[in-house]
Amino acid sequence: MKKHFLLITSLLFSSMVFAGGYQLNLQGMRQLAMGGSGAAIPWDAATVFYNPGGMTSIRNFQAYASVNALMPSARYVDAPTGTDIVDTKQKTYTPFNVYITTPLGYKSPLSIGLGVYTPFGTGINWGNDWKGRYIIQEVQLQTIFFQPTLSYQLTDEISIGAGFVYATGNVELFRAIPTINANGQDGQAELTGNANGVGYNIGVHIKANDDVEFGFTYRSRVNMKVKRGYARFSNVPSSMTTSFANTAFTSELPMPQVATFGIGWHVNENLTLQAEANFVGWAAYDSLKFDYENNTALLNDTRSARRYKNTVALRLGMHYMFSDRFAGMLGTAYDPSPVRNGYLNPDLPDANRILATGGLSFKLTEKLSAIGVFEYVFAAEREGTSTEHGFTGKYKSSVINPGLAISYDF
Amino acid sequence: MRKFYIFGLMVVGLVACKPNIEPTAPERGDADFSSYVAVGSSTTAGYMDGSLYLSGQRNSFPQMLAKQFETVGGGDFAQPLVPGEYGWPVAKKVLDYYQGPCDTLPYITSVDFKGALDTVGTANNIFAAGPYNNLGIPGIRTVDYLFRGYGALNPFARRFFSNPGGARPVDELLHIGHSFFTLWLGANDVLGFAVAGGNTPDPTKGITLNTPFRIAYDSVLNTLTRNGAKGVILTIPEVLSLPYFTTVPPKGLTLDADDANKLNLAYNGTQVHFDEGANYFVIADTNAPNNFRQIKPTEFVRLELPLDSVKCAGWGTIKPIPANYIIDEGEIAYIKNAVADFNSIIITLANKYQIPTTDINAYMRSIVEEGKTQYNGVNYSLQYASGGAISLDGIHLTGRGNALIANQIINTINQYYGSTINYVDVNSYSGVRIP
Repeated sequence: MKKHFLLITSLLFSSMVFAGGYQLNLQGMRQLAMGGSGAAIPWDAATVFYNPGGMTSIRNFQAYASVNALMPSARYVDAPTGTDIVDTKQKTYTPFNVYITTPLGYKSPLSIGLGVYTPFGTGINWGNDWKGRYIIQEVQLQTIFFQPTLSYQLTDEISIGAGFVYATGNVELFRAIPTINANGQDGQAELTGNANGVGYNIGVHIKANDDVEFGFTYRSRVNMKVKRGYARFSNVPSSMTTSFANTAFTSELPMPQVATFGIGWHVNENLTLQAEANFVGWAAYDSLKFDYENNTALLNDTRSARRYKNTVALRLGMHYMFSDRFAGMLGTAYDPSPVRNGYLNPDLPDANRILATGGLSFKLTEKLSAIGVFEYVFAAEREGTSTEHGFTGKYKSSVINPGLAISYDF
Repeated sequence: MRKFYIFGLMVVGLVACKPNIEPTAPERGDADFSSYVAVGSSTTAGYMDGSLYLSGQRNSFPQMLAKQFETVGGGDFAQPLVPGEYGWPVAKKVLDYYQGPCDTLPYITSVDFKGALDTVGTANNIFAAGPYNNLGIPGIRTVDYLFRGYGALNPFARRFFSNPGGARPVDELLHIGHSFFTLWLGANDVLGFAVAGGNTPDPTKGITLNTPFRIAYDSVLNTLTRNGAKGVILTIPEVLSLPYFTTVPPKGLTLDADDANKLNLAYNGTQVHFDEGANYFVIADTNAPNNFRQIKPTEFVRLELPLDSVKCAGWGTIKPIPANYIIDEGEIAYIKNAVADFNSIIITLANKYQIPTTDINAYMRSIVEEGKTQYNGVNYSLQYASGGAISLDGIHLTGRGNALIANQIINTINQYYGSTINYVDVNSYSGVRIP
């Protein structure tokens, strides 16, 4: 059973350089189409993620599934001057979400639900021979969160919800080792490991009146721990193979806490506006450590300072009902980078981002809805240095991200 | 049909959305790089691993600079390339396993390259195929530039001088008609003495006196700047911090209690004393009582100390290590004073001709003090072989070491001439291959 599941998840996987650090923000297609905002209004079962307190507003059993086709690209050029241009290898990622939510009975104040989603990930592949190869060649980080959730209607206006999060994921990293073997080749280290962690997601939904709704949510930090990763070394000089013997390692990567305040305004029968602010606790990502089980003269534990700073992302969205069956969404967001100057590292050459999003939703039948969304991420051009490595460059990245969701009301 | 049209638009949109930044083009500033000559000795020539060979020359810092200069109007850069990889006139050094007569196990050390002998024709004069931009001559001292007929004595100069037997090296500097130069001279005026282990009867291996050094250096600089050319002058490094002198430790003799006791009995009545563990080598010194003593911690042993003689013939224990393998305190003072004097002359003359200096001596001192210098995530140090910057002869640079020097020169050019030339990608050049 487990094997079967892994097969599915490896086909449908998310990860990429995107949205402030390694946070993805693609947990619902209608919400994504509105700049990624979704805390104030429980539009659909994706509220299991966006605001568990909103689940009681969904008065029937709803199943929801979505998938994106993320196509990130990044380019490095020499800085301050130069001639070298390096483009990342193209790869399409497929983050997905699955949600179910249902009230426990007709008029029951209690709802239960489950979310399986991919909130964090990163992936970048510069190739094996580029000039930053001793810092990073390729890294892929993937996570899946499982969140069983309860929601309770306290009053007509106020409902609350809470979910427990079990997170699993894996990380894969390649970098060149500065040894030159008899054939003139670099060595290479490949670090792979499965990671897991736990956390929670809580939210309050307030329907102040017929026109205005509020949402407050808090998603806890989840420390993804690699308890037994594997480090493999290849192409090292044969006389050094004992110093570069394959070994286990431990590591840890924090998925930061996110506190959200959102407001939704039903301007008229057809038009809804919503806005929200995410406070993201990126400061949790202070350093990246690899602790090898067998240290040798040439293989020491590493600690790379990251010193991310906390950020506030702002999101705006608009939802317009053209008819009972047909709606259009537009949105934008400003997602500042948590990466400080001096820590601009080619494994995640992050910059301030502006999102432009749009989507259409269509009620195919009384019970079945489909949502199509398109997102484009403009990342600012950023020139900077990784002081730790003495590596300077100018980076720019962009993301093209179409997505599709289906929801069914039973 | 309409659907296809929309799809086509989307594809166009996707392509247009890829990041399309371009690097800022370097600018030349106030200098003219259209014709560059490199004047200097072995490192300028691309000599490394104890010899001159083709890929070594292609990893010379002048070749790297010329490549960067191409982005700011630089022209072709011709080097008097040797035909093969074997090394000329002797085999280059490579790392390989070696087992001496007294070794129980093979170990990795520098040995002569055993590949194909592909140096046929290297000795032929190739002046006619020139002129050459790289005028580096392995072994040349500053004072040799005024020595008529020097080209006949130095096989490297003889290869590409127009008139090896009749001209002075300084007369061979203007074949190109350069607009820009680098000048790195002076190391061999002291290095010959140092690698000979100090005092030697060979006059070409004594330390050059200050006055002839100044006269010759002035003459070279005067010639290079005569047509208004600009350039960069490099100071010479403190040679004793090179791995040729620092790799064999003075306290490199490991003894067990039994051997230490036996040796103490044999040396009874002298000031030589051994303990269990690490001990100072016994060296020959005509100024010491009985003509031997133990080496002092501040003194140096040359890299070329024959380890088989240490292991099999008791060098350093029952037999003093000959003095020519040792740089003693007196010789160290001579060498350090000479380097300081030469550098002060170089800087004075650079000021006189208004040419900026790249202080290689200060750069190397900073590497010694910090233990390393870093480029794009890789640490380079002056450690023999593992440091990555110094080739297997312990003195000359690897390709990556050359690139570090090239970047120091680019710093100077950018600061002094207002250029914005970008750095050489150090990690793309040759380093030390480890078996």
